[in-house]
Amino acid sequence: MKDLYLYFTMGYPDMDTLERFISLINADKVNGIEIGFPSMDPKYDGPEIRKSHSSAVDPGRERMLEFLKILGMKNIPLYSLQYYSDICSDIEENLAILRESGFSGIIVPDLTTDYFKDSEKVIDHIEESGLDFIPFFSASSPDRVIARQCSLTSSWIYYGIQPSTGINMPMDMAPGVQRIRSIAGNRKMIFGFGIRNEDHVREAVRNGADGIAIGTILLKYLESNDKNGFIDLVERMRVALNDNS
Amino acid sequence: MLESYREEIIPEKWYNIIPDLPEPLPPPLDRSKGRSSIDLLNDIVPKEILKQEFSFSRYVDIPDEVREQYIQIGRPTPLVRARNLEKRLDYRGKIFFKFEGATVTGSHKINTAIPQAYYAAQEGSSGTVTETGAGQWGTATALASSLYSLPCTVFMVRISYQQKPGRKVIMNTYGADVIPSPSDMTGSGLKFFKENTNHPGSLGIAISEAVEYAMKKNLKYMIGSVLNSAITHQSIIGLETIKQLELEGEKADSLIGCVGGGSNFSGFVFPFLNDHEDMDIIASTAEEVPKFTRGEYKYDYIDSAGILPQLRMFSLGADFVPPKIYSGGLRYHGASPSLSLLVRNGRIKAEDVSQNEVIDALKIFAGTQGIIAAPESGHAIASALRYIKANKNEKKTVVVNVSGHGLLDLGIFEGKRE
Repeated sequence: MKDLYLYFTMGYPDMDTLERFISLINADKVNGIEIGFPSMDPKYDGPEIRKSHSSAVDPGRERMLEFLKILGMKNIPLYSLQYYSDICSDIEENLAILRESGFSGIIVPDLTTDYFKDSEKVIDHIEESGLDFIPFFSASSPDRVIARQCSLTSSWIYYGIQPSTGINMPMDMAPGVQRIRSIAGNRKMIFGFGIRNEDHVREAVRNGADGIAIGTILLKYLESNDKNGFIDLVERMRVALNDNS
Repeated sequence: MLESYREEIIPEKWYNIIPDLPEPLPPPLDRSKGRSSIDLLNDIVPKEILKQEFSFSRYVDIPDEVREQYIQIGRPTPLVRARNLEKRLDYRGKIFFKFEGATVTGSHKINTAIPQAYYAAQEGSSGTVTETGAGQWGTATALASSLYSLPCTVFMVRISYQQKPGRKVIMNTYGADVIPSPSDMTGSGLKFFKENTNHPGSLGIAISEAVEYAMKKNLKYMIGSVLNSAITHQSIIGLETIKQLELEGEKADSLIGCVGGGSNFSGFVFPFLNDHEDMDIIASTAEEVPKFTRGEYKYDYIDSAGILPQLRMFSLGADFVPPKIYSGGLRYHGASPSLSLLVRNGRIKAEDVSQNEVIDALKIFAGTQGIIAAPESGHAIASALRYIKANKNEKKTVVVNVSGHGLLDLGIFEGKRE
């Protein structure tokens, strides 16, 4: 069975709504939850996720910890998505909070591209803290970087299909995926960025995705408090993932 | 006989360096609040070009029809052993030059104009639009569009438009409309045109105009340089050179070229990089536009108006208005991200050359090899002369990319500023 990961921005549209939607998630259908911690500059996100970062409500420390505790009880693996400057502002404290809240791993979308020289140090630091560093690759990742990061980590791989979230550029997925597969072997690859409908899901699966991550398309359901629409979408994505045709 | 020789040299696939870079290439950055500036490329760039831009395949098939057109426009271009120059310099090594000026439009620019026009025509586009500085890119776009019966509009930086009337005539002869930029035909042009109807313009402004015009008139925008798809098409220069050296039984020790947006240089150099780790590689830029030596490595806009995404590159600022030097093709404020990355990590050395040194180099090259090279290419030749002087006793094999001829840029020899 293929994996389905859902992305939410912490505090968007507000804590109560977010919590209500999280409570709708069923561990039978969803394999992972990614929480994006709002950044001043979520540069590799598209306009919609960027807006969720800038409009998110700051819950304050207590409320955030309470929320993370609820998340931790859902029995679904949790991953944080934080930009380099945010996670590294106080890396010890951030790693401790994530670990204690039951998170499994961390995605740092700009680490390898913008802070390449620091990247191995940060990866080691995260891995030593007991959390998984989730390598983030795309079709533009060079062979030697893929090989090196695979040797430093053991988790699944996040594969960014598009150059940023929420957009859809013409793309020949096969060469990039095959190249990463030839280096990364059987590591699980979860595809994200720009998956907006069932056709996109099926295309990802056809190209070798072990699962998909969706975020931008969830925003409208949260914004309009459309719980049924959200449940229906998750169901449709699940069906498309299982559809091997 | 002749055809089969040509077929042997022209590659069947273009090469894209991205999977072989030492570090990941920072992706284009979308700073727009409304519609994504990356997404808007869907409206103005042929789908197949975007596929090449975002799929990052190491090798991309050259369609048969494009290969045929490459032959029609003069490919493969010659790789010449510059024996007269070697003699003049009393050099005991070898000097080769790859002469992109031998194409029918007189520069390397046709190498990417043809596939872009080909894909635009295949996808049923109603016409093309682009910008041009010195006029080389506009000329190539005009011809390539004509080959596929596409109407073509070129926004030409006004200073070049006024001082290179010959270029305009050539583009018109190929069937293109040429508009001096900044113009009153687009919002991004009008802003400057209103301030000064005789504004000299810049490539950054002209790009904004062409992109805006493409969106307004539903045309395909032709990418002259900087973006990876254009650089991938230009890899034909390096791939041919490798084959030609192989046929001669030679191996290059040093590669030298000039950099405007980076496409002739990258196209020439990148195919060599993987197998030639110890090679000296020099990127020559204009002293007046010192993007690598004085520019900052940062995210910056491709165009002045910021319609297109930002790229991480060496840049002098998207609002940089360059001095009126002869080498119009080197006036661009930035350089392609992949080349910028390799300059930053030290694999490629960059140096600036003054206009006077360029004039001297052009004269030496003309007086020995008979070719009046383009002022832009004169930078590469000047850097080569410096390199040879510094390595006089080392018997190196130096290969220089002469990106174009300068038969329409003779003003440089008369001391006129363009």
